[in-house]
Amino acid sequence: MEETSDHPNPTTSTPGTTPEPDPKTTRSSKPGLKRLLITTTVLFSFLSGLPFLWKSVEIYRSQLPFHDIDSLSDQIKSTPLRFPCTFHAVFIGFGSNDPDQLRSEIQDGVNQLTGENSQCGSCNVSISVTVQSPDELCSGTFPSTCSYRCGVIKKDSFGRGLDDEVDESLDDVFGGCSGGIGKMYSVVVVNREKGSDGGDEVRAVVGKRRHAWIVGSGLEERFGDVVGRVSEVFVKVFMNGGREDDSIQGEFMPVGSDGRLVLSFSLLNSNPRDWIYDWDFQRIDEALLAPVTKALAPIADISVESQVLYHTPKSSFSSWDEKLQSYIFRTSDLPFFVNSNEWHLDTSAGASGRSKILQFVVYIPSGKECPLHLQLPNGEISKTNGFISPMWGGVIVWNPRNCDKDSESPSRNTISPQDLEKIVEVFLGQFRQLFGFKSEATYTSGFGSYKILPSERGFTEWELDVLSRKHTCFNLHSCATTLGSLSRLVQSLPRMIIKDEIGEQVKYSLKAAKLAQSNASLGGYSSSASSSREARSLAENAFFHPSIMSVSYFSYEHCFAVYSPFFLPVAGHVVLAALREWKRYKQEKAKYLTWLTRKKTA
Amino acid sequence: MARTVLTWWIPLLILQSFLLAIAFGSNEVEEEFSESLLLKPLPDRKVLAHFHFENRAPPSNSHGRHHHLFPKAISQLVQKFRVKEMELSFTQGRWNHEHWGGFDSLSSMNAKPVGVELWAVFDVPHSQVDTSWKNLTHALSGLFCASINFLESSTSYAAPTWGFGRSADKLRYGSLPREAVCTENLTPWLKLLPCRDKDGISALMNRPSVYRGFYHSQRLHLSMVDSGEEGLGSGMLLEQSLTVVLQPDTVYDGKDLQPSWSLSSLFGRKVVGKCVLAKSSNVYLQMEGLAHQALWKNEEFELSTQPDRILRENSSFLYIFNIDKSSDSEPFDLGLTWKLPSKWSCQQAPLHASRFLMGSGNERGAIAILLKATESQDKLSGRDLTNGGRCTIRANVFQIFPWYVKVYYHTLQIFVDQQQNTSGEVLKKINVSPSTDKMSSGMMEMMLELPCEVKSAAISIEYDKGFLHIDEYPPDANQGFDIPSALISFPDHHASLDFKEELSTLPLLSKFKDKSLVRSYTEVLLVPLTTPDFSMPYNVITITCTVFALYFGSLLNALRRRIGEEERFLKSKGKKTGGLKQLLSRFTAKIRGRPAESPSSESTAAAQSSVLSSKLLFKIILVAGVAATWQYFSTDK
Repeated sequence: MEETSDHPNPTTSTPGTTPEPDPKTTRSSKPGLKRLLITTTVLFSFLSGLPFLWKSVEIYRSQLPFHDIDSLSDQIKSTPLRFPCTFHAVFIGFGSNDPDQLRSEIQDGVNQLTGENSQCGSCNVSISVTVQSPDELCSGTFPSTCSYRCGVIKKDSFGRGLDDEVDESLDDVFGGCSGGIGKMYSVVVVNREKGSDGGDEVRAVVGKRRHAWIVGSGLEERFGDVVGRVSEVFVKVFMNGGREDDSIQGEFMPVGSDGRLVLSFSLLNSNPRDWIYDWDFQRIDEALLAPVTKALAPIADISVESQVLYHTPKSSFSSWDEKLQSYIFRTSDLPFFVNSNEWHLDTSAGASGRSKILQFVVYIPSGKECPLHLQLPNGEISKTNGFISPMWGGVIVWNPRNCDKDSESPSRNTISPQDLEKIVEVFLGQFRQLFGFKSEATYTSGFGSYKILPSERGFTEWELDVLSRKHTCFNLHSCATTLGSLSRLVQSLPRMIIKDEIGEQVKYSLKAAKLAQSNASLGGYSSSASSSREARSLAENAFFHPSIMSVSYFSYEHCFAVYSPFFLPVAGHVVLAALREWKRYKQEKAKYLTWLTRKKTA
Repeated sequence: MARTVLTWWIPLLILQSFLLAIAFGSNEVEEEFSESLLLKPLPDRKVLAHFHFENRAPPSNSHGRHHHLFPKAISQLVQKFRVKEMELSFTQGRWNHEHWGGFDSLSSMNAKPVGVELWAVFDVPHSQVDTSWKNLTHALSGLFCASINFLESSTSYAAPTWGFGRSADKLRYGSLPREAVCTENLTPWLKLLPCRDKDGISALMNRPSVYRGFYHSQRLHLSMVDSGEEGLGSGMLLEQSLTVVLQPDTVYDGKDLQPSWSLSSLFGRKVVGKCVLAKSSNVYLQMEGLAHQALWKNEEFELSTQPDRILRENSSFLYIFNIDKSSDSEPFDLGLTWKLPSKWSCQQAPLHASRFLMGSGNERGAIAILLKATESQDKLSGRDLTNGGRCTIRANVFQIFPWYVKVYYHTLQIFVDQQQNTSGEVLKKINVSPSTDKMSSGMMEMMLELPCEVKSAAISIEYDKGFLHIDEYPPDANQGFDIPSALISFPDHHASLDFKEELSTLPLLSKFKDKSLVRSYTEVLLVPLTTPDFSMPYNVITITCTVFALYFGSLLNALRRRIGEEERFLKSKGKKTGGLKQLLSRFTAKIRGRPAESPSSESTAAAQSSVLSSKLLFKIILVAGVAATWQYFSTDK
């Protein structure tokens, strides 16, 4: 680059006194700053405009409380939710036992059974013990609000009448008791005199409400057994609902995220040309299912619907068994029983949004495969002739009384009320299983078996307590995982628009979850269940918000394509100009300096 | 996936007490289902098959919850959106009014516009009707695997007041002319039938033969039947019908005989028994314009099966077949064999309607509806249609305009027998609701009163084509936009089959016996709109940005230019180099007419220039040589 001096003003340099300077290496005037200033201001104004541009193309993202979400899920993972429960044991006919010692022994037993890793939705146990001696003197600790009058429970009343009556009378006794915070459960241990009619047998019954009783003779001698049994009733039955470890876990609670559950009953006539069966389901609904749905109302909003479908064969074949004189369908083939092509069970249009639908199907085999029985792996025939599929529902195979086609034209029949009642009983058993309970009326453990009184509502009160504890826990768990995945999703997609609604829903969901936790620790079963339900549904609403599904089309490529035709060439100009001017200024200054030095030396 | 239940049920003792409450059976009216098929040879050598299924639910409070035969999905839809009456039709092909009839119950009910048509009457407060409609369209769209949800937008439906032939203030009407109809719509429709297509008459619906036809319309009509009782819900009546026009496969034998056919030749299947759930299942054969006695075997034609009953109507005979007796071993396969050439014509609507576009270009045009008198009008004019001593035909025109067709209602012109009619004699009543851009579609309802002796009447209306936003164009925008069919109905004309007999046990015939309004749909119009170049925004962005960048760059360069310095620089350069540049500058100077700056030493410059020119010459020769050798070698191979 050949440069010459900017303003070769002959007046500034005194002519004649100094030799004519070489324009390539020296200059006599100070280099001008005008153009350098212009280019640098343009450059800086561009640079200062960049943040504004960046702001203008930025995508609106509502601020999500990521930290709160993380802390909630950590908290739920690390400290399982526990509800306060009061256990009250009454020992009747025990002469020489110290209630405090009994209490500590039961406490030990309970602790041993609950173990280290207490499940979510279990109890924070407080135990009280009352001992009533044979001469009706009482000693021991009482639950705070309960006034158990000594001698109200007579030991003769046990074992004489029906278990239901005993249960009722116990409820009268403990009716006034509410265990302070949380629910109160009581176990009455009755020690009879030896030689009475019961013999040596120990009988344990769990009632429909929150009471259980153990009756036997000579219990004072087998003291360790009794304490073991009492603590077992408390933990295994009242606390865990008689579930086994391998039974359905809380994660599979069949309740929709909006807290609704639709029970869809279908009667499938696999071939109406052989016979047609109809049912009067409306009366069944009113008489038998309404109490169940009412009982479960705190946990789920249940609606029932029914339909009859025709031409619905099952999708796998059965084989004829000579010995059993029936068609046999093996358990291993069960996954191929439900025929999703022909069974148009239809998701209900009445169930809105994210309701859960449980299908209960009564399958009437066609003439070619009648009678049809399900065979267990051990070769026996299933007594219920039905099976469940978790989170989907249950199937019952119902064989007509007479498998012979009597005439040419198909007979139109109605399933008799007796048969229908049996079917509903199996349904209820399946329904209980879907909720994780056992369908048997007994609970067997190491110390013996317990009889469980079934409720006409399908679920006993203590089972409902277990359900609402588990439900709260499950809801909170699901809320935390949903919010967790939402926050991960949002953080992984930086170009996704997040509306304010989502942010608000997340905020309220967190709030409701906090409320549910605090309510649970205070023992408010229904309030914690409802706020946990709200937390879950809000979290799901946020996750499934329609706007979140559409990732913004305004991608980086798009942005680049729109802005580059202007900014690339202009930026080239500006930066190059600024660089050149700066370079030139440095050069000129150097020339000027050399001129100055030369002038000085001269 | 599945788990067995190995266990006992819980012995629920209390249940026993309920047993007494549950009595055997019930004396209530039960849900009823009936199926029927009407076959009719058409004058133009085609055959019409009309499947009709009726499902009736008695008044009950458990609708939407417990059902035996009635489809639960439909019932729940009715309960949820409070539908009072609803009709949904899927149609492919156009009904030929001239040959297939325009004045009978069958055509007035089953001749539908192409694509999807939906109308519904709701039982909700006025403010909620639109919401209900939107939700209903979405629900139906899911139920029938069709894009009915496009009717949700307020630009695609209208609220007719009287022009639709059904006066209800909570009525909404919409149609999608471009919806393709195929098996995926038929399968969910069949799912609503208790026997689906497994058994009974519906088993004839062999998809390839049904969809090979000339016309195919699948219809679902739902209406509520008031129980009249307090506290009891209303009953429901669901009618499903499928109308197909088929061409029997026959070789032309040159004798002008009508083609002979049978069920198996038409559908490729036979009826092997009724749907066991149907209360009645019948096949009807309607023969029009018969000269001979109503025998099932005569010199004109012969039926393969003996009919169970023969009914006589004004101009036709109806053969009724009961398919109860048919079975796997003895399938029902009705056949018709013609022996003599036969000709007849169908009853026509009083006026034949057609619609077309006028004008050219992408800016404006006009829509014209032409009503032409048909032959049947002579017969009809004898009927009691007099109005003040004058014989007139009344015709209602109902038309929806999409908002991008901006209609000028003042340009409405009516021509009667090619004379423009300006007086209010013809146009008795008109109701117009103009469209709002991107908000609502326009609607026009007109009542015309034409003299009976009219030969033709025409309505024309002009419009401007609107511009759509770039986002609003559908895929394949160049195909054009559809204007839904106009509906022409004749409020004074009602079609019915006039039977003497009591027919309440035969649902299809009792339906035909009821009077139905004569109506016909016009063609769908295709309006080409100006379609933009969809890459235009990018082009505009690029060009404007480039212009701006150029302007900015040159401005910046101008700002930092040092003119004096450059001139001196050029001067000093000019001292050194001479030759071509000097020649050039001299040349330019000559052009400008100014004396060139004379170089200091001309001789050296000339010498230099000669040297330069020789160098240049050498270069040119070198390049040419290289090119020649390259050419030589490349062509050599």
